[in-house]
Amino acid sequence: MNPAEEIKQLFPGSVVSTGLQTNKPLATIKKEDLLIIAEKVKEMGFDNLSLITGIDYRDRFEIIYNFFSYAKKQNLVLKVILDHDKPEVDSLESHWKVADWLERETYDLVGIKFRGHPNLKRILLPDGWVGHPLRKDYDMGVDQFVTLGEDGEDIVSTDGSNLLRR
Amino acid sequence: MDPLTIDTTKIKITKKKPVTALDKLNDTGLISTVLAAREREGLILFSTIDQIFNWARLSSLWPVTSGLACCAIEMMATAMAHHDVARFGMEIFRASPRQADLMFVAGTVTKRMAPRVKQLYEMMAEPKWVISVGSCANTGGPYHDSYSVLKGVDLIIPVDVYIPGCPPRPEAWIYGIIQLREKIKNKGYGAKWGLNK
Repeated sequence: MNPAEEIKQLFPGSVVSTGLQTNKPLATIKKEDLLIIAEKVKEMGFDNLSLITGIDYRDRFEIIYNFFSYAKKQNLVLKVILDHDKPEVDSLESHWKVADWLERETYDLVGIKFRGHPNLKRILLPDGWVGHPLRKDYDMGVDQFVTLGEDGEDIVSTDGSNLLRR
Repeated sequence: MDPLTIDTTKIKITKKKPVTALDKLNDTGLISTVLAAREREGLILFSTIDQIFNWARLSSLWPVTSGLACCAIEMMATAMAHHDVARFGMEIFRASPRQADLMFVAGTVTKRMAPRVKQLYEMMAEPKWVISVGSCANTGGPYHDSYSVLKGVDLIIPVDVYIPGCPPRPEAWIYGIIQLREKIKNKGYGAKWGLNK
């Protein structure tokens, strides 16, 4: 039995659907039960959380967790569907340490908030950046520039006169 | 009156005004220099300051070690033995911009890297030149529509030579370097220093 079906047997009320995502077993689960299922997934031997992806579908956000088990050589994909108005989900940082940076990246670029994350701030873009660039409603018309402050910190502004040649 | 003291008021300094062309030539000290060189059987080279300085500058361009993306891999390939940029006297990639007079902008200039690139350029001592390498540094390239990439490094610093390619092969780098050498060779400094008046 593939791990997605296994999870569906264990938590019949939490799994919305099962299937395949690029030939990997996929289980779409309710966002309230993510932490309980994640604990079980860890017990099943999925020691590596290889990737977290956030996708903006205009009417909803989807967040996709890719797990891998080095002992069993198995893949598992968990998918959670979030509201577009309030994209919030529990953090998996307590189960997989790597989720710290992966969730920060997803927060930085897609703007999904992770409850219980110890240090949820931007990881790639500088702190003052306005908007989350991988969202469909991100304003590409406004150029944002980065300049250096006195202590070498990044200052974000739409005014590039300090940076650009006159 | 003390015989050792000289009454300076009685000395008249008369400067002979050069009349003939030979007098004028004598005044420059050129003839005595040539004669002195002939006595020592030495060689004499006539040139202009522009030519001497330009020759010295283009023969030992020292680039600053700054690679931004994959073009920097080709920069390493250009510097290595097979293509051997040492033929142009520029094998010394300096780790400090203070010691460098050429900057390769090799790769994608992201918005966050842009002020650092500009700072590196401003730290370099004059005279300095910039070669923009690859589609990303020239125009933004494949990332032209991106939120995070500057649309050409010439928006922030002046660029002397653009090398197209993604990334350009070492042959293209060497062609670009030769173009920059031609540019330096034809540049005049006399006007800048007020020597050509």
